[in-house]
Amino acid sequence: MTTTSRVAQTAPPAGRNTPTSAPAKTETFRSKNRIDPAYYWMMVPVLALFAFFITLPALVGVFFSLTNYAGYGDWKFIGLSNYVNIFKDPAVLQSYIFTFVFALTTTVVVNIVALAIALGLNAKIKWRTGIRTVFFIPMVLSALIVSFVFNYLFSNTLPVLAERFGVTPLATSILANENLAWLAIVLVTVWQAAPGATIIYLAGLQSVPSEVYEAADLDGAGSFRQFLSLTLPLILGYLVINVILGFKGFLGAYEIIVGLTGGGPGMATQSVAMRIFSGFTGGDYSYQMANAVIYFLITLLISVIQLRLIQRRGVSL
Amino acid sequence: MSAAALSGNAPIGRRALLKFAGLAGAAAMLPLSGCGATPGTQNGLTTLRFMQNKPEVVAYFNQVIKDFEALNPDIRVIQDFNEGNFVPGLVRNDPPDVVTRGFAQATADFVKKGIFADLSDMQVAATIDPKMQELISSWGQYNGNEVSALPFSLAAAGVIYNRDIFEAKGVAVPTTWDEFVAACETFKAAGIAPIYGTYKDPWTLSQGMFDYVAGGSLDVAEFFSRLTARGADISADAPESFANNFGPALPKMLQLASFAQNGAASKNYADGNAAFAKGQAAMYLQGPWALSQLVAANKGIRLGSFPLPVTNNPEDTKARVNVDMALAITRNTPNMAAAQRFVNYLLEPSVVNTYNEKNAAFSPLKDAPAVDNPQISGLGASVKEARYYQGAGTYLPPSVPLNNYVQSFVYGKNGEQFLAALDDEWRRVAERTAV
Repeated sequence: MTTTSRVAQTAPPAGRNTPTSAPAKTETFRSKNRIDPAYYWMMVPVLALFAFFITLPALVGVFFSLTNYAGYGDWKFIGLSNYVNIFKDPAVLQSYIFTFVFALTTTVVVNIVALAIALGLNAKIKWRTGIRTVFFIPMVLSALIVSFVFNYLFSNTLPVLAERFGVTPLATSILANENLAWLAIVLVTVWQAAPGATIIYLAGLQSVPSEVYEAADLDGAGSFRQFLSLTLPLILGYLVINVILGFKGFLGAYEIIVGLTGGGPGMATQSVAMRIFSGFTGGDYSYQMANAVIYFLITLLISVIQLRLIQRRGVSL
Repeated sequence: MSAAALSGNAPIGRRALLKFAGLAGAAAMLPLSGCGATPGTQNGLTTLRFMQNKPEVVAYFNQVIKDFEALNPDIRVIQDFNEGNFVPGLVRNDPPDVVTRGFAQATADFVKKGIFADLSDMQVAATIDPKMQELISSWGQYNGNEVSALPFSLAAAGVIYNRDIFEAKGVAVPTTWDEFVAACETFKAAGIAPIYGTYKDPWTLSQGMFDYVAGGSLDVAEFFSRLTARGADISADAPESFANNFGPALPKMLQLASFAQNGAASKNYADGNAAFAKGQAAMYLQGPWALSQLVAANKGIRLGSFPLPVTNNPEDTKARVNVDMALAITRNTPNMAAAQRFVNYLLEPSVVNTYNEKNAAFSPLKDAPAVDNPQISGLGASVKEARYYQGAGTYLPPSVPLNNYVQSFVYGKNGEQFLAALDDEWRRVAERTAV
């Protein structure tokens, strides 16, 4: 009896279905406790491509920063002297100061402008969709083209208008002024970058439920108070994201500067990215690779600090 | 068997699929690696790759190549006018066989690294004007005596002037600095901008104002050879420094800058060509490369050139020249004999003289005919008598942003700071390249 019952229990698997049901069992076991291998098949090619096209070249760059390689021809190891020389180079230091001042200023201005636009576009105004479209046009245009157009405006149109209306300080192009050229770059960058930040803020504003405003109205809070005590805390996560993404992007400033001033007048608007890139054409490859490694470490440090801030705020990117 | 594996249970099937994908990937890579190979000699036909750096003369060289191939049916020449390929070609160890480039600091660096073959035993080398060959060898010779490049075209730059404006105001071509200043004052008094400035493109400042005044007031080649010999051990108070040699030239540079039209800081090279072609200024500190642009903008314009006099002794007046094209053969080419035949052909008088005549440049051959193009004939005497110099700006390594420093100097007028910055930059580059 026991034997038959045992056989009856085990017979169907032992008889016909052994090969299929055993893997089926392990598969259900797998899907419960392990990650589906399909995810690996998605990850591995991307990882391989990333490693081959990003990580490997970066490591090659780190390697050559320890040599005197010009990009071709003979080279030898020179230890850390490229790094030592970077710290003694006032031109490189100046590019770091410019880049950080520029990135900080631009981040602040972009976020103020974008938030203001987002608040306006979120209100119940006439032709809201049409006006939104107009505000997002700068995002569609290439930064290089935008900067060439602004270059023309600053150099030709603006001086002519300023002369006609007697505004002497603007009668010569501000791009030719060593002290003001960076403001022109900030202006164009803000013009170009604000729409992207505005979209994120709009998404944030639309996620705020209208009930909280109704409640605030009943309590008699004015619109400024509502913004400060309700809107801002509720969209703080979006603000953090905008600040972090914006700052990171502006540290790599390149194409708008190239289109507007080319790093001039004089050395006034040379960004770190431009200095690093000059190594490829200037036979200064290994030296600027050392610069790139230092810049990478600095941006890495900033990213870690920012990630900590995000985690504390409970926001995830 | 493999078909059974494919249709069998799932894990093996996946593995087989991956293997298949890997094979397909490898197969896709095969033609790519085939691309890198140099087209060498095939069925007795040698293929040469000829790289030149001027898109505007592609048609001329296509004709030259056609004529050459007709005379040399065993050689095929491919023209490549994308100079950006040159360094990647070196990195891949697949450079073009024959190269022509502008010869200055960057090309001299290739010479120092032994990229080019020695051409000194080619017969055609003897037909070259030794003074022009000296422009190349002064940058340093590989192994101390090799001839790594032969000049093909020499561009001479001075002051381009509008003949109509000069004649209307009764101004003759100045031969001394005082005459030049007087001419500028005449134009200024008549309400004509003496010089058209395009300071927004800083290279025009260093090519024109900086190089012309420096080249006219000191021996640039000698200065840089002493400076290079000093190496990284240079400071502003050394006798070889910029600060101790360029000082006297700076006031003249600023005086030159002060003769430009109002608002020069917001004009670029293209603006300058358009405005000068319309007769908005009497003079323009540009080289022959601007001539075709000026004529394109105004067909009727009558132009001339003269070397800028920087002292009051007309004998001192020199023109700024650059070896606009220098022919070289890469050292490791497998087609050396064919490459030499092609270089020989390019330096035949009918080819090289015609090229330079057509492009407002000077032929490097000893017995080249005198230039009769009225746009550049004013520089002919200087070139013939070898009263010329290579621009001071071309001696600086490209990692020194000289153009930006010159622009800063013109705007801020702080000469001491300008020269100290050049000394510092030179020292830093020497320090990191000497090790």
